[in-house]
Amino acid sequence: MSARRAWLVAARELRADLRQPDGVVAAATFMAALILLQSIVVGPQVARESGVAPALYWIALLFAALVTALRSFDRELEDDALDAVLALPGGRDALYAGKVLALAGTLALVGLVGGLLAIAFLDLAIALPGHLGLATALGIVALPGIVVLDVALTLRLRARAALVPVLALPVLVPQLVAATSASAAALAGDASASLAWSALLLAIALVYAVLGLTIVPTAIE
Amino acid sequence: MPAMQPSARLERATVALEDRVILRAIDLEVAPGITVLRGPNGAGKTTALRALAGLLPLLRGAREVAGELLYLGHRPQLLHGLSVRENLAFFMAFRGRGGDAAAAIARWGLAADADRPVERLSVGQRRRAALARLDAEPCDVIVLDEPFAELDQEGVGLVREALNAAVARGAAVLIASHAHPEIDRDAVRVYSIHDGALAGA
Amino acid sequence: MITTAPPRALTVRIRPVLGLASVAAATIATAMALLWAPPDAVQGEVQRIMYVHVPAAWTAYLAFVVVFLGSVGWLWSRRLAFDAVAVASAEVGVLFTGLALVAGSIWAKPTWGVWWTWEPRLITTAIMFVMYVGYLLLRGLSPGIEQRATRSAVIGIVAVLNVPVVHLSVTWMNALHQLPTVLRPGGSPALDERMLATLLVGVLAFTLIYLWMVAKRATLELARSARVMEGLR
Repeated sequence: MSARRAWLVAARELRADLRQPDGVVAAATFMAALILLQSIVVGPQVARESGVAPALYWIALLFAALVTALRSFDRELEDDALDAVLALPGGRDALYAGKVLALAGTLALVGLVGGLLAIAFLDLAIALPGHLGLATALGIVALPGIVVLDVALTLRLRARAALVPVLALPVLVPQLVAATSASAAALAGDASASLAWSALLLAIALVYAVLGLTIVPTAIE
Repeated sequence: MPAMQPSARLERATVALEDRVILRAIDLEVAPGITVLRGPNGAGKTTALRALAGLLPLLRGAREVAGELLYLGHRPQLLHGLSVRENLAFFMAFRGRGGDAAAAIARWGLAADADRPVERLSVGQRRRAALARLDAEPCDVIVLDEPFAELDQEGVGLVREALNAAVARGAAVLIASHAHPEIDRDAVRVYSIHDGALAGA
Repeated sequence: MITTAPPRALTVRIRPVLGLASVAAATIATAMALLWAPPDAVQGEVQRIMYVHVPAAWTAYLAFVVVFLGSVGWLWSRRLAFDAVAVASAEVGVLFTGLALVAGSIWAKPTWGVWWTWEPRLITTAIMFVMYVGYLLLRGLSPGIEQRATRSAVIGIVAVLNVPVVHLSVTWMNALHQLPTVLRPGGSPALDERMLATLLVGVLAFTLIYLWMVAKRATLELARSARVMEGLR
């Protein structure tokens, strides 16, 4: 598996997104809308509790990830460009790894926008900003592996849009729990808890990264 | 290490898609020079080429390719959101080697549109851009699915020139086409496929 | 290349034996559960539903592991027998997971006062249920035998690895949890001897039923795919 080739795929994605940012803008807007909606519905008092705000954030980011990943592959399916990449030497491996990297990149942007928005809207008090940043970064790195796996696996299937969340959401529960807990601890000022959860998040990310790289490429068609 | 002669082959290959047999135990050999695959639409030409390119798993049989393979399919298969120049750069960088992209762009008449996103180009231009990969990515084995489609007279001439150049450097070329009978004249071998079964001359 | 080799001798001879053994064990287990095991000092008769809930849950986990093994087996060897075992185990697994959840719910209402509680094992079991269902949905929407087997195999592997990870993360998160009654660290379970014996017989009975159902279903699946593969000759 060539890191260089994976980077080429990711760079291609980012370049296309920079040119036509409508996808990323839609994802960011989606995220903002979800956070807003959730905050309104549970009530801003409840929403700004250190245990609740992160949950709203990470769930919103998760759905933004699903939406982005589906669109990312749709772009490839137009014009059969997917075949062109798969026919290249090392194409399958690079496609999975590259898409994961690209999704992480998009989520970083969307997550930043959503995060700043949430902090502003809910007037969040952040006890440990560094720890929060770490938790957010690790969470963003931990989500794409599974999301891309499920989108790649269901590429040419009917009812894809409904099937991907069914497959992805249960497998993302640990990442969601860990990211939310790490963020909540950072907001509340519990440094050791935050780091412990962040460590778990990292471990989960690594395990699924290795697993994904091993078994997904052969299953893409 | 001695350079192996470029070649590609499918041996007794059976390919099924969604539990329907498309190719039935076919033997297809592509030696240096031009090999042509003819047959009516729906006979399995595209499937055979995709199988040879490694895009489809074989139900039975084997696939062997000696040398680096370039597959240009039925549709232009260009990366959307990128320009022609960026597409070629991507493919060349992926392989880690390549020809002269600027020269290729000029040769195929795309110099004026090389920096526009490919989705804004006409069908004919996209077809040319895809074919420019023949020059940008010199490969030992070249598999082309209906390369003359959507091209004007000039474009057809360009394709023939590119193919001659490829053959001159020893490449093994497989072309699937249901028109342009004149290419059979220079062909090393002409196969004809009907209903998933192959007959070779 | 894909090979389809139905292990005929195995299934033809073993299945009836499994069937009989299952019926026998189930009968004994039911008798023990209803008549022989003593009622719980605190919960009373309703506690007997444990003899359905616990074995069902254990067997569900077993089924999931078998799905994993079948998935790995398919990716490794391309023999459809592995895929057949995987889907059979998944279907029986869904059944037993559902049963465990329902039985657990029925048990929870009179004892805890709620139909459901956010307890780590329950959460893990519920998530497992959704993953199985997703696995079967994916299969249902997948055309082409080999592609379906490969897709399912990836999900089968990811899903089973997810179970301990979910359990770990949810346990950490949850302040209140009770240690499993049988697997308490330190050895002896905090159960009456007769209850334990009944439980173990129950586990045995459920396991036999599981094996019997999987054998039947896998043979059916293998026969079906063999027919399709023949048609592709």
